[in-house]
Amino acid sequence: MRQLLAVFSLILAILTLSPALLSAQESAPKAAPQESAAPAPNPGRELVLAKCGQCHTDSMWRDQRQDARAWEATLYRMVGRGALWTGEDIKTMAAFLGTDFGPSSPRIKPAAR
Amino acid sequence: MRDLVQKYLSKTISRRGFVDNMTKAGMTIASAESVLSSLTSSAEAQTAPTSTQDAPVKQFQGTGGACFAEQLIACGVKYVFGNSASEDAQFYEALVDRPQLQYVLTPHEGPGAAMAAGYIKASQEPSIVMQAGAVGLMNAMGQVFNAYKEQTPLVVYSYRTDQAHRAGRDGFEEIANQEQVLQPLTKYSWMARDASMIAETTRHAFKTAWTPPNGPAYLTWHSNYTEDRTRTEIIQQSHFDTRMRVRPNPTEIERAAKLLVEAKMPLLIVGDEIYKAKAVGKAVKLAEMLGMPVTQMRQLWANFPEPHPLWVGNVPAGTLSSISWPKNYDVVINVGNKMQHSGVNPIVPHNVKFIDMRIDYNNMGKVMTTDAPLVGDVGLGLDDLIAAVEQLMTANLREQAADRAIEVKKFTDRARQLRAGIINSPEWNNSPLIADRVTWEVAQWADQDAIVIHEAGANVMHSFNFNPVGGRELFFYYGGHLGSGVGTSAGVKLARPNQQVICMVGDGSFLFGPHALWNMARLELAVTTVVYNNHAYGGPQSRTVANVPSGRMVETGHFVNGYLGNPDISMVAIASGFGVKGEAVTNPAELKAALGRARAANIEGKPYLIDAQVARRGVGWSDAQWIPPIKGSSMRTKKV
Repeated sequence: MRQLLAVFSLILAILTLSPALLSAQESAPKAAPQESAAPAPNPGRELVLAKCGQCHTDSMWRDQRQDARAWEATLYRMVGRGALWTGEDIKTMAAFLGTDFGPSSPRIKPAAR
Repeated sequence: MRDLVQKYLSKTISRRGFVDNMTKAGMTIASAESVLSSLTSSAEAQTAPTSTQDAPVKQFQGTGGACFAEQLIACGVKYVFGNSASEDAQFYEALVDRPQLQYVLTPHEGPGAAMAAGYIKASQEPSIVMQAGAVGLMNAMGQVFNAYKEQTPLVVYSYRTDQAHRAGRDGFEEIANQEQVLQPLTKYSWMARDASMIAETTRHAFKTAWTPPNGPAYLTWHSNYTEDRTRTEIIQQSHFDTRMRVRPNPTEIERAAKLLVEAKMPLLIVGDEIYKAKAVGKAVKLAEMLGMPVTQMRQLWANFPEPHPLWVGNVPAGTLSSISWPKNYDVVINVGNKMQHSGVNPIVPHNVKFIDMRIDYNNMGKVMTTDAPLVGDVGLGLDDLIAAVEQLMTANLREQAADRAIEVKKFTDRARQLRAGIINSPEWNNSPLIADRVTWEVAQWADQDAIVIHEAGANVMHSFNFNPVGGRELFFYYGGHLGSGVGTSAGVKLARPNQQVICMVGDGSFLFGPHALWNMARLELAVTTVVYNNHAYGGPQSRTVANVPSGRMVETGHFVNGYLGNPDISMVAIASGFGVKGEAVTNPAELKAALGRARAANIEGKPYLIDAQVARRGVGWSDAQWIPPIKGSSMRTKKV
């Protein structure tokens, strides 16, 4: 359970720092702490958090950049691997991923070595 | 006198020589003649024909190679899989007049070993794979590794290339302590020290390999022993096999039964020992008695009928926490699963009651805590457990079990519906194909009792609804040493000629071992091979990205270890070289048509290959894939 929580925390951290947000942080002056509120509720993000973390961390896909249709195909690929998701769940997750991890979303900078 | 008898029986002295020597030793001529007469009738009886072939123990005299052949026959071996070894000439010589022992020449030792293992797994009959000395052995070792991991009783033989009287000189193809190379991969590894020990060493190898938990065994000897003449005992398998079928501890059976009937949500994990023990029906019965959901960790076979309403699906990742449902299991019972731990956490968490039933005692209690260890044959263990549970079942408990079965069925009905939704992928009709479409189309096409050999690491064999009781069967590449799929398929088809055999293999895996296609063509083993050809090591690239997310490889697109294209490799051309017809397909319509042609070829006893062009998916792929800039032509200073 502890490991599962750790995984979820990691995914939450990554999704919270999704590319659009990272980009804003890089280009804009640092916001005051009280202004860096949690991201607005997003059902797609919530579903990704709940469902994808069931089997793996985001490290395998967080560098992917593609549109919602391609994300939808990726999610259906997981159905073939045992994911039990409805078409509606998949559409919702793909919409979120196609926005925050879409073709024009900035890449996450390589970590300093 | 003993020396004289031995010399006479091994034909190193004549009748006259024997009598002369006996009289010199003080025996009368009449007595010597009498001894000679009894020896002659005895020797004739030893080499006498088939009427005495079935005797449990018989004396045999001949070359070491002939002794080996005789003992293999007595072990129940019908097929010997091997690659050419001139030092085994006396063994080949012995095969000429022993048609009951067939030799299958394989053009590479690795796929040859996979073919032998496939035959053993599909027939549950003994077989052996042999190679040329140390050099052939090195090629076979990858598949011996697989046999060890998946607990297949594969017996392996290779001679020591050196002669006994010049061993240890680092001679041609010689390594020191050859038998020790196999020790970590086998249950038994031994070098016979004399030609007369060949048969006994062979028996010991078969006995050890087939005594559960099964595993490979290795035997070797100096090649001159194969040529030497000797006398030895040949013993039928039925008279040295331990027939080890152990019943679990009755006290633990009672403890396990109590845990199960008192559980709110028991969960059954099934495994390969059920398939081997032919106990699938018993596992179904136990699950039905308790209304217990059933799942499986990674294994070789599908060990439970997937269409059954209590089947909740495979565990998708490394521990039970990844299972979609149920999440509230309070008692878990493993029946015959190897429970391979590849991660840090135990598959079954310590806070859940755990019953572990299997003969593989060595892997019990290693990582997981066990509340009721049931060491034994799972067929017998299930009999005992079913009886013990039956005794404890009250009307109230039966009602609870029935209610639970309804609850499980609600989930499995819904899960089946959701899994079927895979056809709604927006890329379903794409060209090149998506891998899941290939899998789905083959599943629609396959016979209801087809055998699917799966060595396509990046894919899952969804949509087949495997059912080891008369339905479709799965043979998964559990060990993970690649290059097993084609060889395994050939061996399976040899063992089960009346069932459709389909080899589903990734292009990377295929390239490690396509050689058994030649065996399929030569032996008319009508296998359909489907290659998921995305011109890439898709799985390794995905895991590489996962290991260095957002790294320089991702940033630059410079992946050195994933792309197999430029030039693209034609699996059709490779198959053609081995004498197997095939075709490449890029879209669903072409695939369907090709499957029709594959069936037609199979009906004629011919193998067929479909090279399915599959899209690459995941991080780091592009249409113009980068490759390291190494060009031999640009390094030249002269155009030669």
